[in-house]
Amino acid sequence: MSAYLLNRVAQALFVLWAAFTVSFVLLQAMPGDAVLIKFQNPDLGLTAAQVAEIRASYAVDSPFVVQYVRTIGKFLTGDFGYSVQAGVPVGTLLAAHLPATLKLATLGFLLAGVLAILIAFVSSLTRFAWLRGALQSIPSLFISVPTFWLGIMLIQIFSFRLKLVPVINPAPWQELILPVMALAVPISAPLAQVLVRNIDDVMTRPFVVVARAKGATRFWVLWRHVAKNALLPTLTIAGVLFGELVAGAVVTETVFGLNGIGGLTERAVGSQDTAVLQAIVVISALAFVIINLVVDLLYPVLDPRLRTKAGVAA
Amino acid sequence: MTTKLKRLALALATIATSGLALPGAHAQANEPVKGGTLIYLEQQAHTNLYPPAGGFYPNGGILNQITDKLTYQNPKTLEIEPWIAESWTVNADATAYTFKIRPGVTFSDGTPLDAAAVARNYDVFGLGNKALKQPVSEVINNYERSEVIDPLTVKFYFKKPSPGFLQGTSVIGSGLVAASTLALPFEQLGDATKIIGSGPFVVESETIGKELNLKAREEYNWGPAKLEHQGRAYLDGVKYIITGEDSVRIGALLAGQADFIRQVQAYDESQVEAQDYQIYAPSTRGVNNSVVFRPDNPLVADVKVRQALLHATDAKEIVTTLFSANYPQATSIIASSALGYKDVSAKLAFDLEKAKALLDEAGWSVGANGLRQKGGRELVLTAYESLPQPQNKETLQLVAQQWGKVGVKLSVLAGDSGSKTVDDLDPLKTPVSPAMVGRADPDVIKSQYYPKNRDMLRQKGGLSDKVQSFVDEKLNGLLEALASEPDRQKRLAIAGEIQDYVVDQAYAIPIFEEPQAYAGAPYVQGVAFEAVGRPSFYSTWLAEH
Repeated sequence: MSAYLLNRVAQALFVLWAAFTVSFVLLQAMPGDAVLIKFQNPDLGLTAAQVAEIRASYAVDSPFVVQYVRTIGKFLTGDFGYSVQAGVPVGTLLAAHLPATLKLATLGFLLAGVLAILIAFVSSLTRFAWLRGALQSIPSLFISVPTFWLGIMLIQIFSFRLKLVPVINPAPWQELILPVMALAVPISAPLAQVLVRNIDDVMTRPFVVVARAKGATRFWVLWRHVAKNALLPTLTIAGVLFGELVAGAVVTETVFGLNGIGGLTERAVGSQDTAVLQAIVVISALAFVIINLVVDLLYPVLDPRLRTKAGVAA
Repeated sequence: MTTKLKRLALALATIATSGLALPGAHAQANEPVKGGTLIYLEQQAHTNLYPPAGGFYPNGGILNQITDKLTYQNPKTLEIEPWIAESWTVNADATAYTFKIRPGVTFSDGTPLDAAAVARNYDVFGLGNKALKQPVSEVINNYERSEVIDPLTVKFYFKKPSPGFLQGTSVIGSGLVAASTLALPFEQLGDATKIIGSGPFVVESETIGKELNLKAREEYNWGPAKLEHQGRAYLDGVKYIITGEDSVRIGALLAGQADFIRQVQAYDESQVEAQDYQIYAPSTRGVNNSVVFRPDNPLVADVKVRQALLHATDAKEIVTTLFSANYPQATSIIASSALGYKDVSAKLAFDLEKAKALLDEAGWSVGANGLRQKGGRELVLTAYESLPQPQNKETLQLVAQQWGKVGVKLSVLAGDSGSKTVDDLDPLKTPVSPAMVGRADPDVIKSQYYPKNRDMLRQKGGLSDKVQSFVDEKLNGLLEALASEPDRQKRLAIAGEIQDYVVDQAYAIPIFEEPQAYAGAPYVQGVAFEAVGRPSFYSTWLAEH
């Protein structure tokens, strides 16, 4: 088991390094840079000579390799540098923006999970074909709704018309209600789809017939026998969906004016604020790696068959 | 017709109640109410709050509350009035300015705002600070040095006449800050809590990119001397909340979740006014929203081609299709409320036949595909949209349609900010560019066109090293004269001459006078705007609601 973990950690480090390097290369390859975008801004009215001086002081024109080594060296010591656009250290920005996104993503994911399970369970339990059909078409609907539009609709209806939740200056507990809904809807769709399919699949297995023959109710069979088996592939999808979650957060945070990593990313992309983007890429990669590691470690917990295999391998 | 009249009436009401008519004009007979916090929705987060970077509206909207200036430019008369400076003298050739500082003024950290502090500020704004990467202020020309004569008297010396300096001391970019702020490197000035000013409000807290809280300074007693309101601000505080979405800002205002918002698009004005909320659209009084050419590009090097495009542009159609009464059609390259304005509208007439004739004369004939051609080249131009300008993409697209009628193609690009910034320096890639800048002094024309300032025409020796040969010595000479002519009348005459010249050369096609559009709830009273349309909440109060 420990060899397995070590292996996974080594993999994780490689992924982090690769994410860092690829994003660094891409950001460098883009035309212009943060210093140019910021200081060539006519509102500052700087002369060419002044811009050149500032460029020199930020050392943005030094060779690629020098910048790469310097940046990676700083990252290793935990120094993410300064945001050229915002004029504050990247570390401060991250500290200010990360908690909101973590909360939004966690709650959004939980709600998505609940929605998916509800859709899947109710649709497999119901005896009415029309209800089943209706419920099973919900995921297709959910996945086709643009997050952006959904966010604005939620605000218009629940905040501006019904005045249930303010979007401006909300209490801390109110702040996340609408964004979490907006984020959860598209995420719940693929989860529900996979879950429905797997439940259908497992339902046809012989042990289900046996259980039913013994007189178990549909619900009992679903809960005790089918759910666990159907959950495994869903868990894999859940790990992959994290990427979706980050992308959804960018839109959701922008619409709701939340101060999270998504909004920060959007602004940093706009101004090519390399230091900020670099830090966000590394943090996202780290989160991705951790989530997938957790998912992998959860398999044996959910499925005893995998436990023995892992045991044999170790 | 009735809607038009209603519009006009509303516009008049707006002018009457907005601070454009600040001192003396009492729109409301009732006494200002003290207390309360104004919820202000801002479209974009502030960036660097180094005062000379205050031109960016989100920055100016904060700096205007937390810093004071040496002088106050009356937004109604554009005259310069006392503020932190009680009085001043200027020598005959405008190379030396002496200011008497008002006693008893302190920064919010308790340090005195005296002659030494003023000198320290202007030495940085006038000369920059290389070690701390603090750039020179755009509004200060020919600065040489300062001299503290006594604790409340400071004198500034200039290498050449600098007649625009007095107005320059009143602008947002000349907000006075404490020594502790000036001692910080430029890249740390994005943290609003570190900007220590002497203004009526102090930054209490901020969550970067999300919200910022100002609270009134109790002991504040040094507002502009001629304002009726003296003493501390009426409001207890202002809460800025960044709300990027246009529909969310307007919806929140109308749903009673906010009191005041910035950036209202022309197409949203009617739904705001329909509910008796108010649109404030103060003019930015500077260089009009225009399209400018980069004559270094051979396609637009010929003045006839530029003139043809000027006459092919129907500014009236743009204003009536896309905008509202708050966006008057341009009659010169600067706004009609700007200092030194001259009406050159006769030269800006929309005339398709003339445009076609000019292009024919210049040797561009219509090819088989309907596009003008000459020597195997097609007259195809490119412009990048400018995000901060209102509906700029739509404006450029409409211009493109209009130019299409005379056989000229204009491609409007969005592009990421990096490509845009790089291509914008190269006249071959961007022969056409949208442009505007606000400042209530004729110096603004120089800021816009002078190669060592914004260099909008992209001259050789200016901002870009990609320019091959284009230089207009005559224009540069006029601009230099404008920035250094100490005689006011002569200076305004030069400003007029430049307006004629730029339009004659068709370097720019002015389209409309750009306002800054805000909307406020009916109970928000006494919002004032500085000369270039940034809000001042010093005299603002919230009526019962």
